[in-house]
Amino acid sequence: MTSKDLLEINNLNVHYGELQALHDISLKIRRNSIVSIIGSNGAGKSTLLNTILGINKPTSGSVLFLGDKIDGMQTNRIVAKGVSLSPEGSSIFQKMTVKENLLMGAYLPHTRVNTAAKLEKVYRLFPVLKEKAGQQASYLSGGQRQMLAIARAIMSEPKLLFCDEISLGLAPIIIQDIYSTIKEINEEGLTIVLVEQDVRRSLKYSHYSYVMLKGRIVLEGKPSELLEGEVQDAYFGLNKYIKC
Amino acid sequence: MFRVITTRFLSDQLFKLNACLFVPIIAALCILPFGVNENIVMIMVQIFLYMALGQMWNLLGGYAGLVSLGQQMFIGLGGYALAVITEIYHLPMIVGLLVGGIVSVIFALVISQPIFKMRGVYFSIGTWIAAEALAVYFSNWTYVRSGQGFNITVSYDLTTTDMYYIAAIVGLGAIGLVHTLLRSKLGLALMAMRDNESAAETIGIEIYNTKLKCFLISAFVTGITGGALYLSIAYVQPYAAFGIDWTVAMVFIVIIGGIGTVEGPILGAVFYVLLKQYLYDYPGISMIILGIIAIIIILLASRGIMGAVHDYWGFEIFSTRRWVNKSR
Amino acid sequence: MEIIQSVLNGLLLGGLYAVIGIGMSLIFGVMGLTNLAHGDLIIVGAFVCMTLTAQLVGSVWAAIVITVVIMAAIGFFIQGFLINRVLDKGAEPALLTTFGVSICLSNTLLLFFGADARSISSSFATANAFSTNLFSVSSVYLLDFFIAICVIAVLHCILQYTYFGRSVRAASDNIHAAELMGVDTKKVFSYAMALAMVSAAIAGLLVGMTFIFYPSTGTQYLIIAFGVVVIGGMGSLLGTLLGGIILGLAQLLGAYFWGSGYQLLAGYLVLLLILTVKPEGLLSIASRK
Repeated sequence: MTSKDLLEINNLNVHYGELQALHDISLKIRRNSIVSIIGSNGAGKSTLLNTILGINKPTSGSVLFLGDKIDGMQTNRIVAKGVSLSPEGSSIFQKMTVKENLLMGAYLPHTRVNTAAKLEKVYRLFPVLKEKAGQQASYLSGGQRQMLAIARAIMSEPKLLFCDEISLGLAPIIIQDIYSTIKEINEEGLTIVLVEQDVRRSLKYSHYSYVMLKGRIVLEGKPSELLEGEVQDAYFGLNKYIKC
Repeated sequence: MFRVITTRFLSDQLFKLNACLFVPIIAALCILPFGVNENIVMIMVQIFLYMALGQMWNLLGGYAGLVSLGQQMFIGLGGYALAVITEIYHLPMIVGLLVGGIVSVIFALVISQPIFKMRGVYFSIGTWIAAEALAVYFSNWTYVRSGQGFNITVSYDLTTTDMYYIAAIVGLGAIGLVHTLLRSKLGLALMAMRDNESAAETIGIEIYNTKLKCFLISAFVTGITGGALYLSIAYVQPYAAFGIDWTVAMVFIVIIGGIGTVEGPILGAVFYVLLKQYLYDYPGISMIILGIIAIIIILLASRGIMGAVHDYWGFEIFSTRRWVNKSR
Repeated sequence: MEIIQSVLNGLLLGGLYAVIGIGMSLIFGVMGLTNLAHGDLIIVGAFVCMTLTAQLVGSVWAAIVITVVIMAAIGFFIQGFLINRVLDKGAEPALLTTFGVSICLSNTLLLFFGADARSISSSFATANAFSTNLFSVSSVYLLDFFIAICVIAVLHCILQYTYFGRSVRAASDNIHAAELMGVDTKKVFSYAMALAMVSAAIAGLLVGMTFIFYPSTGTQYLIIAFGVVVIGGMGSLLGTLLGGIILGLAQLLGAYFWGSGYQLLAGYLVLLLILTVKPEGLLSIASRK
């Protein structure tokens, strides 16, 4: 493993009971890049994310973060190492205010420094959150919640950020907004993994891409080098990508 | 392999099994009082009656998904019905027992209106509160002699043998009732609901009605059993009659014996009665031991003893499964 | 009018009832668990406090400090060894486990202390703080209310302004998101249980000073705790206080109109009514998913 790789997954297999959800997944996430993992519903993206974040335990294979084995670790310990997730559906703390949500993002002891500066940074990236700082989070719209989830996830100044389906259910103009902010955050030095169903946009913004189908990675490469037809086939499981 | 053979064997041969095993057992139970000493007969009385209580709690909790912590309300109503009918109106005790069942059903119907609006733990505690409310009400009600209670004098003329047969009818009747119910359409509905309530609803099963029927049936049988229990205790008093101790017994019997199985409460009742007998001189300890065993079982074998037997060996005596003939 | 006395007592008693309910509200909010042993744990607190007071002559206050420590330890133990293991199995096993604990506790108390009536003696017990022509204010009721307000205020500050408190609120709000923030939720559960036990210890002290108690009194206080939490709504400290007051008023007014024998019954009826009509409580912030 070279020092350029933040995350390395080798031959990961995950089962739900007797059902195998992930088959032999191997991938690398390079420092400072934006990587997209795309696939339709049921392709295994969520399972992969859950396994990386410690919610599922793999049957075999390994997940290495900065060289340390994190597969099988408890979620809160993995997060403490510098991995952060903006979960699918935002998963914000409904009964807390926007500001309290953000403060929870910097809950771990080593992240409690410079809280004011971090809040300012997050408010600069997502101005609407500053407006609504004192409001209860359940009053936010879908797009605002998504912004809150991402903002909350970067409060701990993580080394690696996962964004799970951030475009789900949002209006295109909001998605555009969020994606340009993602780009901005990445340019400031954060490695980001986008897990998406929105193929076009995620390909546009990422440096490297993996396409998943039925729990396997069926196509990978730099977006500029992937043919549109190829990606479509892989996504929908056409032609040579059908294995069963 | 072994598991498949055992279950198939049993259900295919169910009728033969009934004949070979059950007839001698029932026959033995019938003549029991004449062969053994009185203490054992009294123990059997307890076992039969607690078995009935357990079956009913299991019907509600293990099959209908209603964890009731207030079944004691029907025991109290049954006990008091017996007392009132025999002491105040001087009618035969059979009438007392039946009235107990009927009053219980009526009360269950009335209380189901508010209680069935409650879900999950609210339902459980709601039933408990209803029972406590009855306890307070009865201890202030002069018609039932308030806190003093009744001496049930008809019990004094009752022989142990008579008591035994009454208990046997109640106990075995309860098992038969539950087994029949579970093999009926209601039973299928219950099992569908247990597995997935919303799916069951979409195929036309009326959740509310099914649950209500179970609640009423269990009220009826528990009421009659309560009357029978107080026939043997001979003295009814509000806080004991409507006390949580009854539910403690039922919960432990079903949990230890096996929740969601028909054989479970039988085993549990035997276990419970024998444990109480053995530790008769140390009343508090038996409950503590029961509590600890119940907790251990919940942690380690949450389907109870018979549940574990079901799961590991596929062995069922009262099988409620149905077999479709497969063509190979 | 005597009704003023009943209303006043109901209000003051409401404070005590609120303290009784706080522990249960905390556990339910954080873990989604209804602790059926809560009432018995309060009575354990009362017995421990009573025994310590009898040995450490004259000092109820030293006794309560030791009681609090013992109870917090018991809570930690129960949570770690028992409840954390059973929470994954579903709502029923967890509920029935606490039921088992409840039975073990009340019978253990019966074994050690016997079935006699008990109370914690203190100089507050019989004195009146002040009396007028219309009503009198019992010292111990006033003390109960005062301590209740203090407990609620302290708890509110902890939950609102400390990192620990925020982690407790986060865990009750959205447990998976809390884990993603780095919160060790199993530890939070244990601390929440310890906090609940501290409140139970204090409730035990107050109950012991205000009323007589038996090993079996737990049931009564479990229902009060549950009632307070239901009426006030989950997750709201203010709601718990309000719930306590409403329950207290219901009980005392019931006793006023129907006789003292019906005090408990009046409370039960109001509780059943609210459970039927608005089970999420009068002041609940948001409905549970």
